[in-house]
Amino acid sequence: MAETASGKGMDLKYQPGFSQIAWFCIIVLYAPIAVLVLFSFNQNRSVTVWTEFSLDWYVKAAQNEGIQHAAWISLEVAFIAMVGSTILATMAALVTTRTPPYRGLNLAVAVINQPLMVPEVVTAVATLIFFAIIKKITGVTGIGYLIAAHTAFCVPFAYMPIRARLEDMDLSLEQAAADLYAPPFQVFRRVTLPLMMPGILAGAMLAFIVSLDDVIITLFVAGPGETTLPLYILGQIRRGVTPEINAVSTVFLGISVILVTLIFLFGTDKNKGKQ
Amino acid sequence: MKHKLLVSITALWLTLAMGSAQAAGELNIYNWGNYTNPDMIKKFEQEYDVKVNLDGYDSNETMLAKVEQGGSGYDIVVPGDYMISIMIKKGLLARVEPNKMSNFKNVDPKWVDVYWDEGRNYSIPYQWGTTNFTVDATVYKGDINTLALMFDPPDELKGRINMLKDMNDVINAGLRYLDYPRCNSDKAQLKELNSMLVKAKANWRTMDYSVIEKLTSKDVDLSQSWNGAAKRARKDRPELVYAYPKEGFTGWMDNVAVLKDAPNMENAKLFMNFMMTPEAAAMTSNFANYANGIIGSESMMNADLTAAPEIVMPAGSPAPEFVPPCPQEVTDLYSKIWTNLNK
Repeated sequence: MAETASGKGMDLKYQPGFSQIAWFCIIVLYAPIAVLVLFSFNQNRSVTVWTEFSLDWYVKAAQNEGIQHAAWISLEVAFIAMVGSTILATMAALVTTRTPPYRGLNLAVAVINQPLMVPEVVTAVATLIFFAIIKKITGVTGIGYLIAAHTAFCVPFAYMPIRARLEDMDLSLEQAAADLYAPPFQVFRRVTLPLMMPGILAGAMLAFIVSLDDVIITLFVAGPGETTLPLYILGQIRRGVTPEINAVSTVFLGISVILVTLIFLFGTDKNKGKQ
Repeated sequence: MKHKLLVSITALWLTLAMGSAQAAGELNIYNWGNYTNPDMIKKFEQEYDVKVNLDGYDSNETMLAKVEQGGSGYDIVVPGDYMISIMIKKGLLARVEPNKMSNFKNVDPKWVDVYWDEGRNYSIPYQWGTTNFTVDATVYKGDINTLALMFDPPDELKGRINMLKDMNDVINAGLRYLDYPRCNSDKAQLKELNSMLVKAKANWRTMDYSVIEKLTSKDVDLSQSWNGAAKRARKDRPELVYAYPKEGFTGWMDNVAVLKDAPNMENAKLFMNFMMTPEAAAMTSNFANYANGIIGSESMMNADLTAAPEIVMPAGSPAPEFVPPCPQEVTDLYSKIWTNLNK
């Protein structure tokens, strides 16, 4: 604090009240999560009164067939949606950054990002009705609908980091490769793709998490036997939450934290050192 | 020994006669989350050679939104009383006539002619309960079976009361306390209700759904509550007593019904008939902790359930009242009172 005078006066970190506001935000955001994690290790079945440490609820959750099934569905859907949406997002990012500006470019970007702008419940109801019509006409049912819906809303999340990466990449490398008579596909495979890989990986993981966490669209679209973990947890709430849910949520939280950390590691550009 | 042999022969016969013959396949059940006994499902799967997919919802409205468009793929749903009448009106339920099924004789006659499904052409009882209040008997030692404890509380309970944050539960209790009819549109009576509630609110600490947490953390000494929640709260706070006020109280029932576009209609009917066996009903009650409405299930229910004063109503208490959905004009008036009360 005493150093404020020595040139740091304009630094936001040293403005009055910065640390108070920061702490307030951190507590509001993370205290409930800390409580949730804490009570997952509680010995009794109350989610408010602490007795003693135990891993009983983790054992119970691991033995619960409903939870196992839901976790498997979640992972299956998230994985397929991740692969599909990342491929689509990569192609979308290429045609919105590696081509000369054309009419409708902004419109195309807006359409790609549509799931971010439209309230999720609107997308959910629209998808529900749309799929109901398709099911009636074709008679086809199954988990494909859920995967398709997840793939669709994951695209913009995968798209953003990939596009950001492409915009940061210097065109001159690709131009140099083309100058040296590399055919377009070879340029893409040997130059563009390796360079954009960190963006693709970050986008893929973001898509995976977004799919894993989704509630509203899944709630409307999921068919029989397609309960994902978040839906399973939601269904428990009215009849009373047991620390079993805390245990599952903690595991889920752990997965999310690991993936976010990986995104951060991939997303942190090694070239950033230049700045 | 003889008994065991008889049981196994019957089971074998059942498997041969019904299982393999007509029911091989799937059944998709959509029920409230954490409300279906997995052992009961396993029993059904084994007896009828059917693979069951079970999913959970968190409210009647979620379930309705999902099945309303058709093509949800579900066969069985378990809506609450008023939701059954809404779904029948909307033409979403199949008229499967459980009243003609072989196990219908097990259904307690008092649950046959209900307002939401007169004569039981669409649905059968699943679980039912009551909405009353539970109070710490060491804090208040007088007679607890009166609504006055919530609306004109004695000194020891003032400021120690939690009410459900539910418009119908609070207003219906208020109307009973004043001895006025439900679904009331009489302006003068509602005005009296309004001032009574506003006055009573001064003595309430909170209006919240988290009854169990409020009571067990000793935040309050009296809470309006569902009977199942009251029973669970008593486990951690044995002084709690569930009241059956003499002025009357609300009952609710969840019901097994079959969707009109059920892909596995025959299996759905088999399941409905299965759910009327005392064994299946008892298994459900033992898991969900509510009464079931199937005669003969009591002997197979857990002792703590059949002995629980929250589940078994004492003789002489009024019958629970099932309040049908009120007309729109009444709901609008209620909403005004409710908004005013929550200010």
